[in-house]
Amino acid sequence: MKTGIAIFVAAFVALGASWCGFVLAPALQLGGAKQTVILQTTDNWPLQRTGDATLGLQVYRAYGCAACHTEQVRQTGVASEVNLTGLGNRKAEDFSAFAKSLFVLPELAGVTNAFAASLNGWNGELPKTLFTTTDVELASALAERLKAVGVKCETRLVATGSDIARGWGSRQSVAVDYLYDQPVQLGSMRAGPDLANIGVRVPDANLHLNHLYAPKSVTPNSTMPSFKFLFEVRKIGAAPSADALNLPKEFAAAPGFEIVPKPEAKQLAAYLLSLKANVPLYEAPFTPVK
Amino acid sequence: MSDEKKSCSVSSAGEPVSERSTTPMWIIVTTLILFFIGGIYFDRHSGWFDAKVYAPYSSAETLEAYQPKSGEAALLARGKKNYEAVCGTCHGPDGLGKPGQAPPLAGSEWVTAKGFNRLAHIPLMGLAGSISVAGKDWNMNMAAMGAALPDEDLAAVLSYIRSSWGNKASSVAGDDIKQIRSKMPAGAQPVTHDMLMQMPE
Repeated sequence: MKTGIAIFVAAFVALGASWCGFVLAPALQLGGAKQTVILQTTDNWPLQRTGDATLGLQVYRAYGCAACHTEQVRQTGVASEVNLTGLGNRKAEDFSAFAKSLFVLPELAGVTNAFAASLNGWNGELPKTLFTTTDVELASALAERLKAVGVKCETRLVATGSDIARGWGSRQSVAVDYLYDQPVQLGSMRAGPDLANIGVRVPDANLHLNHLYAPKSVTPNSTMPSFKFLFEVRKIGAAPSADALNLPKEFAAAPGFEIVPKPEAKQLAAYLLSLKANVPLYEAPFTPVK
Repeated sequence: MSDEKKSCSVSSAGEPVSERSTTPMWIIVTTLILFFIGGIYFDRHSGWFDAKVYAPYSSAETLEAYQPKSGEAALLARGKKNYEAVCGTCHGPDGLGKPGQAPPLAGSEWVTAKGFNRLAHIPLMGLAGSISVAGKDWNMNMAAMGAALPDEDLAAVLSYIRSSWGNKASSVAGDDIKQIRSKMPAGAQPVTHDMLMQMPE
């Protein structure tokens, strides 16, 4: 085989090139990631998990939660939202009339329809989102104009995209969010909802435990399998356990029995509570709700 | 091998034979055009592998533009906006001035003076007569362009011109302008070089 060396070199180059693209380049790009600071604060991000939450990541991994749940929020755009937060001594009708008088401005052409629609049938309720535009400069210029008549106006930078619209997060996930995850549980299929912010959406450990024991007790249409084996059903001793689940009647244990989470279940719940990615970062800026 | 070839060429003289030929020009050109388009696309969308740049941000600059502005940065951004709207027409967006229209602000000793009292009077009251800027004499009139600006906006403009285009002087606060305005000499006469020199710096 006189072309042996040529074949070897060709294979080496082909594999080497893909190794460079898939391993070397990402490592050079993101390998130096380190703890960063939350925008406009001096607080660090992310923080190490502690105690049960650290062990919970391994439970999450062991039971293959990542097969059905992702931990990454996607974002397709960024926009500026103009909010009316106070009317001062103005009436809602006066403000609407003033706002409509601005519609002739040529720079407003792109947002006039949305702005008019938001004012239709508005009863003066505050805060009021007037319109959203991708032109950040225009939004702040217009907020200044509205302020000139004595109302309170603010602009907020918001992330946009289907995941954001579902309420799964305020911004996209970025590499630094996973700094202390070992291994990273990104997931690639969403049979269930994304969990990158589950600790923000469901901040109650008992609700997580109920959901793990009997998913339908929390979400009636859930297709998630029950993780009953993480719990112990036992006879109530001298006094009921403080950890016992408080389930709706149809899911509860027989009279005289109680359902108590095993350590693994508690660790998993602690891990789920630790899943938060709701702060603005340099690489993913947005205006947090105060 | 050679026998086979021989017999082949002998037995089928009219058969086509493979020859070397040059790659057609259109393939080379198309490939180069594709590379070129790819290069442009990469330049516009990749962020040049910056670890901080994620879609939908396409470059470090666009990401920077979306950062919340506070403090100094906000003041300068506001100053830049007002400068370009009010002053930039004559003094130029680059602060270099225009011959016969307005002296430069970049490197002007009036702009970068330690105190901004004299400087603030120029947009507040206007300027008349001959004045030397950066070693050159200018003799023309400036209207009180800044008199109508709110204190904060004028302070932002002065801060902006004092810290842009190589100028490195302290910034100005809105309250300072308020104070200067309240002590302004009566009458709407523009200031002259001599009047400025009599004022504290």
